[in-house]
Amino acid sequence: MEARRHNLRQGWALRPRIEPALRPCLFLLAWAWSALALCAPHDHKTSVVLAPGYAPLAFLPPAPGSYALPTMGDAADGDVIDSRGNAARLFEFLGDKPTLLSFIFTTCDDVNGCPLATYVMRGVHDALQADPKTANKVRLISFSFDPLFDTPDVIAAYGAQFRDPDADWQFLTTDGPSSLDPILRAYDQWVIRDYDQNGDYMGTMSHILRVFLIDKERRIRNIYSTSFLHADTVVNDVRSLLIESNGPAAVVGR
Amino acid sequence: MIKRGFVMTLLASLLTIQAAYGDETCMSPYMAKIVGQEDYVYIWTLGLEGVGDGEDKLVTVDVNPESASYGTVIHSISMGGRNEAHHSGLTDDRRFLWASGLDTSKIFIFDVHSDPAAPRLHRTIDDFVDKTGGIVGPHTNYALPGRMLITGLSNNRDHGGRTGMAEYTNGGDFITSVWMPTDDNLQGAVKSGNYADGYGYDARALPRRNVLVSSSFTGWNNYMMNLGKMMGDAEAMKRFGNTVVIWDLHARTPKKILDVPGAPLEIRCAWGSQSNYCFTTTALTSKVWLIYEDEDGEWQAKAVADIGDASKIPLPVDISISADDRHLWVNTWNDGKVRLFDISDPFAPQQVMEEKIGEQVNMVSQSWDGERVYFTSSLLANWDKTTVTGENDLQYFKLYQWDGASLKPQFNLDFIELGLGAPHQMRFGARALYGGSSAQSPSGLGAPPAY
Repeated sequence: MEARRHNLRQGWALRPRIEPALRPCLFLLAWAWSALALCAPHDHKTSVVLAPGYAPLAFLPPAPGSYALPTMGDAADGDVIDSRGNAARLFEFLGDKPTLLSFIFTTCDDVNGCPLATYVMRGVHDALQADPKTANKVRLISFSFDPLFDTPDVIAAYGAQFRDPDADWQFLTTDGPSSLDPILRAYDQWVIRDYDQNGDYMGTMSHILRVFLIDKERRIRNIYSTSFLHADTVVNDVRSLLIESNGPAAVVGR
Repeated sequence: MIKRGFVMTLLASLLTIQAAYGDETCMSPYMAKIVGQEDYVYIWTLGLEGVGDGEDKLVTVDVNPESASYGTVIHSISMGGRNEAHHSGLTDDRRFLWASGLDTSKIFIFDVHSDPAAPRLHRTIDDFVDKTGGIVGPHTNYALPGRMLITGLSNNRDHGGRTGMAEYTNGGDFITSVWMPTDDNLQGAVKSGNYADGYGYDARALPRRNVLVSSSFTGWNNYMMNLGKMMGDAEAMKRFGNTVVIWDLHARTPKKILDVPGAPLEIRCAWGSQSNYCFTTTALTSKVWLIYEDEDGEWQAKAVADIGDASKIPLPVDISISADDRHLWVNTWNDGKVRLFDISDPFAPQQVMEEKIGEQVNMVSQSWDGERVYFTSSLLANWDKTTVTGENDLQYFKLYQWDGASLKPQFNLDFIELGLGAPHQMRFGARALYGGSSAQSPSGLGAPPAY
């Protein structure tokens, strides 16, 4: 285990200077390398068609503030552990700025699942940071639903692959199912663990990818899944929430 | 016992790998998918007076040929009355089946994950009209990410065809509603032809183009009227939808209203990653229509084929597109026939086969590999036939095997003889979607599955 962590810490990470057109390929290389480094049990899928979130958006998204994001209910609280091993409540990370929350596990081997969420969140971060009006106005949370493997050390190493050191991007886990299950239940995020016919856990999971947009009032304002998740539309949704809170000047007129 | 991997969940985007995965082809692209053989078909069934308990039912049929109970009804849950049971749809994670009633505007949410062989009623939405600001007749239950889109057929002001769409969380909490664009309130949409009737019926999404397509039928006054009476009422026959609306999917705002005269019903969009088009059929004019994005990025509508002899009113109803976008099954309710069109050229569909299925036929669902084709018979309580001209084949659920050339009957369940009622919408289920007993724990960290 220690060797795996070491490999991750020494791993290569994305940086903003990389040409945007190359980022999907490089991200996938990083993801594949990470999966191998972690020795996650996984099947090799062939001819996987990448989700739309990896490519340039194929349509002009509606302008920020021009459409409604009706409330889909309240975000839920719960006991979590951050990547430094500190116990906390999830609400400590919600409520002061719009937040993107994705449920992932670090050994996820479906390129259109957790890696897509992480890739898009990185894109959202980069786009908002590039604009002085929106820099540091959003928080990203990658929340593991695999407490057995994703210890604080593991999620810290995983996070280091994908974020800038100064990014407001939190990587969270839990101390086990007693803390995790109430949170997953509240967010309606269900996971199916794969067992072989002897009843032994195979180390793989299936789940519907969901990324939640949560506003400053801790209300869920949108949910994205694989076909729907793209940095450009998420950025516009975040900008819409900023306009809602602070008026159009929050996102225009640099 | 089933093998892990024989059936599994997949993410929606993987569906673009055509013919590799199995599921009915008419579902939301956002939905978890089934690989291989489905275990169950859930049939939303109209209650008929004098048939069994006379109540609407969700009927579960075992359709796995390796099962000892293959081809039999293994479960039925009655709803305590009749609601004009019509359409149903699964949430994006397939944990819940939403089934709606066109008369009472109730929506019944069934838990299909705790025991997929025996769905149980989880929640009933009985304030749909109030919550939505007057929408009546919830029809299509369509999965969007973490939520359900419900199309309406009518309204509570005049029970005519003007209506809207609503969104609910997967758990059944109301989110929002929007009304269809009309001449007096286009809501920013472009009226491209003669009509902006505000009618509704079905809806389907093309997420890669940020498009939602909606169609239009008729209001409560008509769909609850006796068919013969309505056909003889010239004024009533004027009150059918003539439009398809193109929406901005992300913003849920109407962009363009297309003329598609004659009550365009079911919408089925192509699955191909570069196929920016959908099909619909018109009930009154008996045509296949193509709804497509042209080279300039403009959405257009074009009648591309006739369905039978329109003068004989075959009445096209449900359609089903194959996973490879090459074929379209078209049911015509009045003559009880299914027709298969080759749609390899979507602008020039060619009919390649035609077969009588029953006295009447309404819904059609096919497996993703196209090898299994299911049919049910019922259209609407006051429109369904009550007498037969041939063999007693009025209300049924049938499975056929399709080998690319002919349909071979597998089983036929007579829903009258079984005391069930009039079967309508079919949805597929599979045990392995829910991970066996670990389904009781969101993290899956409970006991391993029993199989």
